[in-house]
Amino acid sequence: MTAEILSLSLQLSMPEIILAVGALALLMIGVFSGDKSTSTVTGLAVALLLVAGLWLIFMPGEGEAYGGAFMLDPFARFMKVLALIGSIVAMVMSVGRAQSDQLDRFEFPVLLVLSTLGMMLLISANDLIALYLGLELMSLALYVIAAFNRDSIRSTEAGLKYFVLGALSSGMMLYGMSLVYGFTGNTGFDEIAGILSSEPRHMGLIFGMVFVLAGACFKISAVPFHMWTPDVYEGAPTPVTAFFAAGPKVAAMAILVRIVSEAFLPILADWRQIIVFVSIASMLLGSFAAIGQRNIKRLMAYSSIGHMGYALVGLAAGTETGVSGVVLYMTIYMIMTLGTFACIMAMRRKEGGNVENVDDLAGLSSTKPFMAIVLTALMFSMAGIPPLAGFFAKYFVFVAAIEAKLYALAVIGVLSSVVGAYYYLRIVKLMWFDEAQGEFARISGELRLVFGLSGLFVTAYVLFGGPIGTAANAAAKSFF
Amino acid sequence: MAANAPALTFIVLFLPILAAVLAPGLTRFLGDRAAWVLALAPALAFLHFCTFLGEVAGGEVVTGGYAWVPSFNLSFSWFLDGLSLTFALLITGIGTLIVIYSGGYMKGHPDQGRFLAFILLFMGAMLGLVVSDSFLMLFVYWELTSITSFLLIGFDHEREAARRAALQALVVTGGGGLCLLAGLVFLWNITGVTQLSLLVHLENGLRESPFYLAALVLVLAGAFTKSAQFPFHFWLPNAMEAPTPVSAYLHSATMVKAGVYLLMRLNPVMGQTPAWEILLPFFGGITLISGTLLAVRQTDLKLMLAYTTMASLGLLVMLTGFGAPHAVEAAVLYLIAHSLFKGALFMVAGTVDHETGTRDLTKLAGLRAAMPITFGAALLAALSMGGLPLFFGFLAKEEIYTALAAGNPRAVFFTGLAVAGNALMFAIAFAVGLKPFLGPRIETPKHPHEGPAALWLGPVVLAALGLLAALFSGLAHRYVSSPMASAITDQKVTVDITSMPHLGLPLMLSIITMVLGALVYWRLDTARALMVRALENLGPGPDRGFDRLICGLVRLSVAVTRFVQPGRLEIYITATFILLALTLLVPPLVFGELPGVPAWPQNLLVQEAAFLLIALIGILAVVRATDRLTAIVSLGIQGFAVAVIFLLFGAPDLSFTQFMVETLSVVILALVMTRLRLSPRDHRPVGQMLFDAVVATACGLGFTLLLMKSVEAPFDNLLTDFFNAYSKTIAHGANVVNVIIVDFRGTDTLGEIAVVMITGLAVLALIRVRAGSRTGSGEGR
Repeated sequence: MTAEILSLSLQLSMPEIILAVGALALLMIGVFSGDKSTSTVTGLAVALLLVAGLWLIFMPGEGEAYGGAFMLDPFARFMKVLALIGSIVAMVMSVGRAQSDQLDRFEFPVLLVLSTLGMMLLISANDLIALYLGLELMSLALYVIAAFNRDSIRSTEAGLKYFVLGALSSGMMLYGMSLVYGFTGNTGFDEIAGILSSEPRHMGLIFGMVFVLAGACFKISAVPFHMWTPDVYEGAPTPVTAFFAAGPKVAAMAILVRIVSEAFLPILADWRQIIVFVSIASMLLGSFAAIGQRNIKRLMAYSSIGHMGYALVGLAAGTETGVSGVVLYMTIYMIMTLGTFACIMAMRRKEGGNVENVDDLAGLSSTKPFMAIVLTALMFSMAGIPPLAGFFAKYFVFVAAIEAKLYALAVIGVLSSVVGAYYYLRIVKLMWFDEAQGEFARISGELRLVFGLSGLFVTAYVLFGGPIGTAANAAAKSFF
Repeated sequence: MAANAPALTFIVLFLPILAAVLAPGLTRFLGDRAAWVLALAPALAFLHFCTFLGEVAGGEVVTGGYAWVPSFNLSFSWFLDGLSLTFALLITGIGTLIVIYSGGYMKGHPDQGRFLAFILLFMGAMLGLVVSDSFLMLFVYWELTSITSFLLIGFDHEREAARRAALQALVVTGGGGLCLLAGLVFLWNITGVTQLSLLVHLENGLRESPFYLAALVLVLAGAFTKSAQFPFHFWLPNAMEAPTPVSAYLHSATMVKAGVYLLMRLNPVMGQTPAWEILLPFFGGITLISGTLLAVRQTDLKLMLAYTTMASLGLLVMLTGFGAPHAVEAAVLYLIAHSLFKGALFMVAGTVDHETGTRDLTKLAGLRAAMPITFGAALLAALSMGGLPLFFGFLAKEEIYTALAAGNPRAVFFTGLAVAGNALMFAIAFAVGLKPFLGPRIETPKHPHEGPAALWLGPVVLAALGLLAALFSGLAHRYVSSPMASAITDQKVTVDITSMPHLGLPLMLSIITMVLGALVYWRLDTARALMVRALENLGPGPDRGFDRLICGLVRLSVAVTRFVQPGRLEIYITATFILLALTLLVPPLVFGELPGVPAWPQNLLVQEAAFLLIALIGILAVVRATDRLTAIVSLGIQGFAVAVIFLLFGAPDLSFTQFMVETLSVVILALVMTRLRLSPRDHRPVGQMLFDAVVATACGLGFTLLLMKSVEAPFDNLLTDFFNAYSKTIAHGANVVNVIIVDFRGTDTLGEIAVVMITGLAVLALIRVRAGSRTGSGEGR
């Protein structure tokens, strides 16, 4: 009997096991053959992630594992595939920049794999302890890679800031978990939900929930826990920033969705206030603060803060439509972000190396027309202008909010997206209407592939987006 | 034909977009003759839509569509009634002429292909907008027209003014579009339908809904920005930076009418309420009068036309607002007439500019001999715009006055407004259509001569249509005006006005209009000087206001960002703790959930009190410490004291862990400190220190209150009872704590030991690295 459960558990968590064992094997390869093995390790790491992703897509089987601490449902499957795609793309994009950003050490891909493993455990977490372990595994690797370029003061400072603030938020989350455990006597999400729906809630439990949510909000960089984002985005090497913006956001959003729609669903009215507040604050800050930015990575940081605000609009609804909207939003957000970061990495002068000012994009339409077209599509999409993918992302979360009668939230969201459109359009204007300052160096193939695919996705979504919407719906059904 | 009509219509809707894709290649291949080929696309579409005329005139509605995203219940569906069919015909018909005209106008321009592609792309978007059935499709096309308009206005992107105008138009109309989306979502939420075809036949509910006003205001925000109604009118004159074909097509004949289209479309379900009948005539009236007054002061042909376009849109909005059948008929007639004559006049202005090199009215005269065909077209169009008998414009004006004169007392005011506006438009019509061609020749930058066929074909056809439609008014009414008016009012309306003047009040008003208009035309220079002076006294308009708004927005954002994101970790941490303190303190205070005052412990032992005191002293020492090492050690003292307290209260396992963790932290921190400079002192000013102290105390207080509140809840004895009951029987151990550590939680203990060991190893590694150089990792041992 126990053996059966164990074998089932192992089977369900096979992708995670592949990554965990693989990462250790890669570490050994790296340690014994030194830095010259970096490219081999990177290649193998990508292969590992691919195998894990394929396993997830093609191997059937769903259910709880390890006594309910681990959950593989359609939602987890969808989000994990998304996080894996994010990590693979970010890793592939880092190859060309490894030399100049001093990322060419074998530890880098190993840390990325470990962080991805953390994300996957986090997405599947069905228990407070599992949640915390996944979160920390993901974050500890992230702290290190933020500061990976040790010779750069900016990178080191970014890593330190991220670590200190991250540790603070982890502490708060852990404190909250202890309160939740104290007042419900359980750590499993299902059991917590059971207790909450049968007993009147205690004030201390609400505090516990607030602290748990605060920890998750820190990871998705929602206001008021966003403070690390602009500094870390700007300071960390660009491939690392791209990684930060993709998988970890997806994973943290996934756990936020899971914890509120599973464990805390009976006290929806309580957490909704928090999510609504965080969402409004993020949308407003994201759109207003980005306007004054000159550095494109910093601008993307504010943009991501804003996007998280929009995604939370869907979550605030607390319905199946809302969760489906969030899933769709995160999918589209991640693909747009990766495409944009591919463009940012392509901003490299023939002499003078990498540049990252918004003004450096001036006149791109005449020097690199393909990149300019793609970046224009991405910016329009991020601004939520139809018929691009970004519009549909926003549309479905707002619809969910309105169905849940959260009118003020929807209206503020629409208004702030108008403000947000301003800075995206400024980039478009720069690219098409201003004089070119100088030409960028030849763009490497992998970057062109990434932003090309991303551009194709946002423009063609209107035609072929149906199946993604259906998959998002199926994922959302896991909870309701 | 009928069998494959849906498929055919679907193809026709995408025909302009297909042509747009082909345009750049075709232009490279065929040069400026490509325009004639590309014009086939709208021409075919025009013919296709003509086949529906009979059906729609019979009161039928043509619908069709395909499932788009079935899982979200979205469909790509269209419907054609009198209103959308008329618009579709105007878009494709005028579109055909514009494409041909563009070929002549942009001849030899290096980016001609791009220009044609944009124009056709816009055409596809506009066509989609007017035939859309589902809300979402309407919105998507609505925003697409804004984007293509942005691209077309900014076509001449070398010039700063064009770039500014393009961005301004996009911000205003795109923003309005988002308001429209919000409005549509409201409508959907109130009524439960997402299709216009279902919405317009809805019997009741919408007007009575408490959200009606919100929905109306949002929809109006969309319509008013698109149709350049006061106070959002400023983008339209600036949009004249675009090449003339764009001005003729987008900014007079089609796109700017999208707002009017929407209002007409929603009239059956949203009209005839006090809000509708006040807001629309009010803003329409202001736009009408300010548009005409502003037009008078201009000397640039295009700007004069732009301001009269704005005025005409105001007139249309005003008429739609009245909602009575006569008013709607008037709006329909005027809309068609306006598209014809204004399109023609814009193209004439473009031709004149193209051939003479200037479009300043004061520098043009006596062109009639050099450009006879253009002159003819201009004259016909001006007569229609002036509203002289035998022209379609006359019909429209008669109908306007009939509608207004038949109305209630407040209509007197609007009649006066309409007369004044029409008189000024009369003056402008002849100033544009007549003045450049009459009088003695003046030298122009280029030697004037008649343009090629591509340039005069459009104006001639449109101007002639203005005459023909009036002559054969029966036909025009039967197939176009009546079905359209019926669609707007959602009841059978028959338009029967002819170009035969009828004696009565409307004719009187028409004559007054003409006399006044002729007077203004005669003293145009005086009127212009007067207006210039008046506007100078008035101060900056909303155009400047827009710039200031954008500038203010940027400044505000920069200031906000500088305040919340200075890049210093201390500030971030302080902010987090402030938030923490607020979270902990505010809710209990607001909801009155403060814990009760705890009783002083009666049986406090001496050793317990002593260790509490030690912990307290440790904390005080941390606060008072002047260097880091002291602070770390003091913190350790506090930690050890707490560990002992755990021990005293019977939790040896917890105590043990606490000891280990404290030891390791002190060791690691101290090790790290030995590699850092220990000298830095606390440089904070006293105020800052006090502030930090307040934040820290608030957090501490918050946590204490929370803890006290938590322990007020009854203690769950489940685990205690379990261990007491089973330690002996299951695990055969007398000491419960021992049994828990080594048996019930044996694996946990193993894990803990492993963690502590690994941490110890790491510390060891750190110590050995210490001697190493800065660059090396572990080599320097």
